[in-house]
Amino acid sequence: MRNILVIARREFFAYFGSATAYIAIALFLALLGITFFFEVPFLIAKPAFFDARVADLRPLFEWMMFLFAILLPAISMRLLAEERKLGTLELLLTMPVTESEVVLGKLFGAVGFLLVALVLTLGYPLLVSILGHPDVGPLVGGYLGVLLVGTTYLALGLLASSWTSSQVVAFLLAIVISATFTFIDLVPEALGLKAIPAFEVLSFNYHFKSIARGVLDLRDIVFFVSIIIGAVMLTTWSLESRKWKGA
Amino acid sequence: MSTSQTSMISVQNLVRDYGPIRALSDVSFLIERGQVVGLLGPNGAGKTTCMKILTGFIAATSGQVLIDGKDIVEHGVEVRKRIGYLPENAPLYQDMRARDYLHFVARLRNIAPEKIKERIEHVAKVIQIESVLNQDIGTLSKGYRQRVGLAQAMIHDPEILILDEPTSGLDPNQIIEIRELIKEVGKDRTVILSTHNLHEVTATCNRILIVHKGRLIADGSPAEIQEQHGGSNTFKISIQGAGESVKDTLMGLEGVTDVVRLENQDQAATDWRLFGAADVDLRADIFNLAVQNGWTLLELHHERQDLETIFQRLTLT
Ligand SMILES: Nc1ncnc2c1ncn2[C@@H]1O[C@H](COP(=O)(O)OP(=O)(O)OP(=O)(O)O)[C@@H](O)[C@H]1O
Ligand SMILES: [Mg+2]
Repeated sequence: MRNILVIARREFFAYFGSATAYIAIALFLALLGITFFFEVPFLIAKPAFFDARVADLRPLFEWMMFLFAILLPAISMRLLAEERKLGTLELLLTMPVTESEVVLGKLFGAVGFLLVALVLTLGYPLLVSILGHPDVGPLVGGYLGVLLVGTTYLALGLLASSWTSSQVVAFLLAIVISATFTFIDLVPEALGLKAIPAFEVLSFNYHFKSIARGVLDLRDIVFFVSIIIGAVMLTTWSLESRKWKGA
Repeated sequence: MSTSQTSMISVQNLVRDYGPIRALSDVSFLIERGQVVGLLGPNGAGKTTCMKILTGFIAATSGQVLIDGKDIVEHGVEVRKRIGYLPENAPLYQDMRARDYLHFVARLRNIAPEKIKERIEHVAKVIQIESVLNQDIGTLSKGYRQRVGLAQAMIHDPEILILDEPTSGLDPNQIIEIRELIKEVGKDRTVILSTHNLHEVTATCNRILIVHKGRLIADGSPAEIQEQHGGSNTFKISIQGAGESVKDTLMGLEGVTDVVRLENQDQAATDWRLFGAADVDLRADIFNLAVQNGWTLLELHHERQDLETIFQRLTLT
């Protein structure tokens, strides 16, 4: 556990020296702001909004999760690909640490950075609370759910980053994987077919709905946690199998 | 008697393939506590590959490595605790300050948090990087980066040091200091270093392993290698006015087993090294050959085989 935290700490602080990370955060906040300000006047115009004393944060969380699919790959891409390119992976893996400690350390470091990004979005719900009276429950639930979803994207991106020494390739692979997982439920419809229930359940999109309402359903938690565990295991395996390949 | 169980490092029948390339083929050796061993070989010999396997970064295709009797595959973490490693070209995080990097390594090396500062100061003093501790590693000169790499390998005072070309990129004064340091450290520790430099091995190592094309072709102290492989006797000559076919002419001389052209500064003359069969003194024959062919013999020198010559001959083909 100590090793994981030591690696996570280094990874976390490394983001503050990375221009890509700042750009990703800035884009995230800006794009989120655009939706937010387009939504808010619309909500205010509806008297029911205040009558019901519920400020609806659903669009905010929904947008966050979609933006994650595109922006978090930019955060995860460097995690292992850069180490490979610079050769620093050699020093890291010849320390007395296991591959899974390295993988978890990297993931937690990135999640730490995601937390910073999420804290920076708190201004938006704060604004809503001035205008209306959002419930604290859904707010907390929504943020926890969004954090879980973000961690899932980061774990998938970390896996992609373990396959290549090119950050660009890692980024593109992560986007493809993330988009597939996110929108797979829409595929049959786009092809003019009937919805396939298995695709529905497997798609992130499907699980976003209750999270965006701020409801943390156990089934959603199990779903995302399983994907995180699966991605972490595959990444560890990818690092271990590297020993038999080139370098 | 040293065996694979009692030796500090035991390497048995190590083979490593990179796809179709066989980088190591059937390498075996034992290294005892307190030995400073130089891994010597030309480019592409397999030195780095061997070190990557010893440190557990890559796996062997076949064969076994035991560190103090423990298999490095089964006891990876435990074994790696006892090793300090400087990879080729010292790959370090560019965006970290040297001090923060050493701190990071010290934490992973399980040094007690209250001792870390002291340890960093100590190593920085020994390796003379105190002045750059607060600088980003990416902004350091190559030599200083190499030294930070050495510092991280030594931070936990390991029993075994594995150093891949430790003095590459260092200035001459620093090379001498680092060699002294390695000798000092090697008194009660096991050190394996790789190098292309013969002076380096003779200056620091009490044992030399010569690798060539993935095979171990010589093993012993400098004196032993000279004894075992210095068998043939050689002659160095410098001639002027020789034509194209000089090598063939020299080869044609009875008792000559090989002829190698040497680097030389003098444009007008060419330098050659002739390898003779044992106990044949070719000096008179060479002189006569030169007279016959109308060459001007500027230099004729019967060499005692030094390590350089041995190395050159062993790794020629
Ligand atoms: N990742 C790799 N993929 C394919 N071949 C490799 C790889 N790494 C090394 N090799 C090959 O293995 C052989 C041994 O290389 P190695 O790096 O061990 O040599 P070396 O003795 O360290 O050489 P140098 O003195 O140049 O550092 C070479 O033929 C090299 O091309
Ligand atoms: Mg090498």
